[in-house]
Amino acid sequence: MTQALEGFLQALSAGILIGAVYGLMCVGLGLIFGVMRVINFAHGDFMMLGMYAAFYLFTALGVQAAFGNAFGPFVAILLAGPILALFGYAIHLALISRVSGTRTSALEGEGHYAQLILTLGIALILQNGGLIVFGSVLASIRTPLSSSAWVLGPFFDISIFINKARGIDAVVSFIAMILLTLLITRSRIGKSLRAAADNPTAATYMGIDVDRAHRVAFALGSGITAIAGGLLATNYPFHPFVGVEYVIVMYAGVVLGGMGSIIGAFWGGMTIGLVQQMSTLILPTQLQNAAIFVVFLLIIFFRPQGFFGRVVERT
Amino acid sequence: MLRIEALTAGYSAIPVLNGVSIDVEQGQFVAIVGPNGAGKTTLFKTISGIVQPSAGSIMFEDRDLLSVPPAQRAHLGIAHVPEGRQVFPSLTVMENLEMGAMTEAGQRDWKHNIERIFEWLPVLAERRGQFAGTLSGGQQQMLAIGRGLASSPKLLMLDEPSMGLAPTIADFIFERLIEIRRQSRLTILLVEQRVAEALESADHGYVIEAGRVALEGNNQTLRADDRIRKAYLGM
Ligand SMILES: Nc1ncnc2c1ncn2[C@@H]1O[C@H](COP(=O)(O)OP(=O)(O)OP(=O)(O)O)[C@@H](O)[C@H]1O
Ligand SMILES: [Mg+2]
Repeated sequence: MTQALEGFLQALSAGILIGAVYGLMCVGLGLIFGVMRVINFAHGDFMMLGMYAAFYLFTALGVQAAFGNAFGPFVAILLAGPILALFGYAIHLALISRVSGTRTSALEGEGHYAQLILTLGIALILQNGGLIVFGSVLASIRTPLSSSAWVLGPFFDISIFINKARGIDAVVSFIAMILLTLLITRSRIGKSLRAAADNPTAATYMGIDVDRAHRVAFALGSGITAIAGGLLATNYPFHPFVGVEYVIVMYAGVVLGGMGSIIGAFWGGMTIGLVQQMSTLILPTQLQNAAIFVVFLLIIFFRPQGFFGRVVERT
Repeated sequence: MLRIEALTAGYSAIPVLNGVSIDVEQGQFVAIVGPNGAGKTTLFKTISGIVQPSAGSIMFEDRDLLSVPPAQRAHLGIAHVPEGRQVFPSLTVMENLEMGAMTEAGQRDWKHNIERIFEWLPVLAERRGQFAGTLSGGQQQMLAIGRGLASSPKLLMLDEPSMGLAPTIADFIFERLIEIRRQSRLTILLVEQRVAEALESADHGYVIEAGRVALEGNNQTLRADDRIRKAYLGM
């Protein structure tokens, strides 16, 4: 009995920890989709770039030397955010803005096809370019914290182990999410992003440059997912094709949260993390991903608009 | 203040406006009336930069408006209260008003503006925390007007503020507009289906039919015109 309870609590805490990172990862995509209504197939590959950015910052560019083995990785990961945000900004300026925003508002359907093809193309280029530049060897951002744990308890003979790296990953994710929520709900920039998402034409009448708002959202979303990717990389090795594995989780999270809801995307990602870890209690590990999609289908069946689907319609 | 000359505009290949010329002087209240599909909304969209004209010119305070990017036009002092209200549904009433105040002048005058807006349209003060998407049609229209006023505009453009509203609500909104105009002396360009009311309170009027100015004149000449009396005033 105690053992079962201990196993349950252990899986629950593992689910919350990984769920927070998944949540952050999904929020990056959710922000882009929510504001721009663009489906970015390359988002997983942006995350891969974020992982490598953190990796090279840490190993080759002096962050390890300056901040040490334990916390250096987290410094490198946080720095990868702005780098990928700049990258996203440039990609939007050079490519995405040509097939989205005000340029295509007149030709709704055709704009979407062009977006699909363009972002798929970017994804392929990044994956194969990554293979050439980074090679196919698995990389990882190692910190000694990945192999040590905090012990909670014992409370009545029950102890829970919290992997230190994962614990910090989750805390960083929650803090990033809180800051982002404040930015979106309170700041002028955040409000104008939401206005541009609600009604781009009316936003233009207000003097909001909608294409610029999209660029900000795209940069912000890319940076956030890059940070989430770096955090994952402290526990999971990665390679140039790692984006393909995660992009599905990202889309599932965004759909679960309710397409267009930024905060919903976080809880969507959290749900996936929880289901993934809890399923190990009753299912063999190979079936983790199957469990995620069974739960995904069930939730979508009973609540097609997702957790935070919009109650008010776009005009 | 606003001088539109020989404007031709439309969607893709379909021409809608055909050589329209309109003048709005500083402090004037100008009304535009005309049947459905005449091109009134298209005219407003062209002024705001959403529709590109193929010929003609638009000057705003001696500035070539057509060379100003659409998102910059609000910052010059043009507030567009669009047809069908188009409030931001997932933003609260207050946030919608803040979006109106994105312009520099709107930022500067925010405190003063918001006080006056709440005084003119008290329902907005009562509902300030409510999501705009959950307001009634009349309340949304008042919000759209308040949002326009929050930018401290030099020119307020209103596209059918009475559209789709019950007559008593439409009357109320019209009465509010007259009051706002009386107190603020704002320059107003109004498109309206309620021709009698519009022509009665405006200084100057234009009748647009099938993309052309069919008739124009001051308040008395238009109301005395036989064609207007027959076609629009039902006399
Ligand atoms: N986005 C669009 N694409 C193609 N044609 C359009 C578009 N919007 C309007 N039109 C056409 O342009 C013409 C003028 O429309 P507009 O909305 O300017 O008329 P209006 O005078 O505002 O009419 P109403 O009084 O009904 O609002 C109409 O024939 C309409 O079908
Ligand atoms: Mg119209």
